[in-house]
Amino acid sequence: MIGPIYRLTLRALLVQKRTLMLAVIALAPVVTALIFALARSPQDGVRDFYSTIVQQLFVPTVASLIALVFGVSAFGDEREDGTILYLVATPQPRVELVVAKVAAAWTATLALVVPSLVLSGVLALGGQASIRLIGWPLLGVLLSTLAYCAASAWLSLMTRRPVVIGIIYILLWEGSIATFAASAAKLSISAYGRAFVAHALPQAAKPVAGTVSSAIVLAVVVAVAVAAATRRLVTAELP
Amino acid sequence: MSEPAIEFTGVSRWYGDTVSLADVTFTIDGGVVGLLGHNGAGKSTTLKLCAGFSTPSTGSVRIFGANPRRSPEIYRRLGMVPDHSPPWPFLTARQVVQLSARLHKIRDSSDAAEQALATVDLVESADRPVGEFSHGMRQRVKLAQALVHGPDLLLLDEPLNGLDPTQRGHVIDLLTRLGVEGRTVLVSSHVLHEVERMAPRVLVLVNGHLVAEGSTDGIRRLISERPRRVLVTADGNSRALARELLDTPAVDAVRLNDGQVEIETSDPSRLSRELPVAAVRAQTLLHEVRPVGDDLESVYAYLHERARGQAR
Repeated sequence: MIGPIYRLTLRALLVQKRTLMLAVIALAPVVTALIFALARSPQDGVRDFYSTIVQQLFVPTVASLIALVFGVSAFGDEREDGTILYLVATPQPRVELVVAKVAAAWTATLALVVPSLVLSGVLALGGQASIRLIGWPLLGVLLSTLAYCAASAWLSLMTRRPVVIGIIYILLWEGSIATFAASAAKLSISAYGRAFVAHALPQAAKPVAGTVSSAIVLAVVVAVAVAAATRRLVTAELP
Repeated sequence: MSEPAIEFTGVSRWYGDTVSLADVTFTIDGGVVGLLGHNGAGKSTTLKLCAGFSTPSTGSVRIFGANPRRSPEIYRRLGMVPDHSPPWPFLTARQVVQLSARLHKIRDSSDAAEQALATVDLVESADRPVGEFSHGMRQRVKLAQALVHGPDLLLLDEPLNGLDPTQRGHVIDLLTRLGVEGRTVLVSSHVLHEVERMAPRVLVLVNGHLVAEGSTDGIRRLISERPRRVLVTADGNSRALARELLDTPAVDAVRLNDGQVEIETSDPSRLSRELPVAAVRAQTLLHEVRPVGDDLESVYAYLHERARGQAR
């Protein structure tokens, strides 16, 4: 019975004050695109700017951080205040609990990042905006945020400092090491998300893999994270 | 033959260097059982292990014959009222109880929720968010969500905390009734007189050890018969009083301490009769007679020492 747990978790995630803070983060690319749209000259490369904003700001930082916080909070908040007990003390299959939590975290993430990406695209691209130019990056964001949410949910059941570990992974590993070490990029969720951006924008940096391979890798990340979180939920010490 | 509701076999649970539960073995099946102990005695750990919220470091926990950590289906027969952890504050009481009914796969969840809310006398406030409730009302919401699926086993961690006397009486009557119906109710408390109002059987935990187990009357007798210490302040002639007391049958030992007489006795009621006689013989007046170590911690310490003595 995924529905009631999904709705409960989504509501719990969205009523928090931190959602407002995350909305401000989601606004950053929109504001950047707006400033560009107001100040651009005819010589400016519209697609270059859009490619940069999506590849270097949106996918690796904005979307990943928002997904990390919601993914961690889906279980983390309830572990902290003890309400997780009311879900665990029911005959629900543990995998359904995890799937409902990840789905709720992903929905909350998309509620912020999808309008942000579409608006940023429309503002930055102006008359050149098209379904292809916005749709492919959007697909990359959809898949990568799902992977971040699932991995974060698992992380929140493994450690008491999931946000710190997640931020270190996003900023240090993905944002630094993976940018100059090609092999390290293969262990970067955002690198596979960026592959979809490169499919629509040839200006983008060379992708770590093709779109089909990236989709498969991200799907595997989701499946493994859900399985690991389910296993952990059975063995974790609850409050 | 059906499996017992709760079966602990050599269960220990430690967290780092802290032993929370040490080699505990007991079986419970039917009726209300009190889990008595001071704060930190291991009551909550015991209930967490029963509820499948924790894994024993050694030993085995079986609930209706199954490992609760590996068998979510067990929760169809189990209800849990945790001590802390009020339900989601943004949900109304009715939503919390209905959600519990749905998650327990009750066919008519609304009807079951209404019945559970009526049982805990919360129908009138059922549409208010739990976040607006007093502690006592939250306790009742927790109780309603645990009762909504009619569990065979109910685990309650300090359920009377925060309830006013009327509500306490109501909950005690309810738990007593559930026990009479044949359900198993394990209820923790650190107050014996609270437990003995509803539980004919008690388990006493001290520092993670199961130090006493049996009928509530038996535990009460054991506690009342334990050696007591009494501190007597006499008018001047304490040494003479101590000498007289040494010849008194109710007195096990006497110690003089800064002019005060400390008496150890196994029979306090007899001492209360013999002490004035001894004072008359010693030609002294009694200024103060005060029991020492009569607090609950001392009672538990005595039971612990007694259990260790029996073990040796």
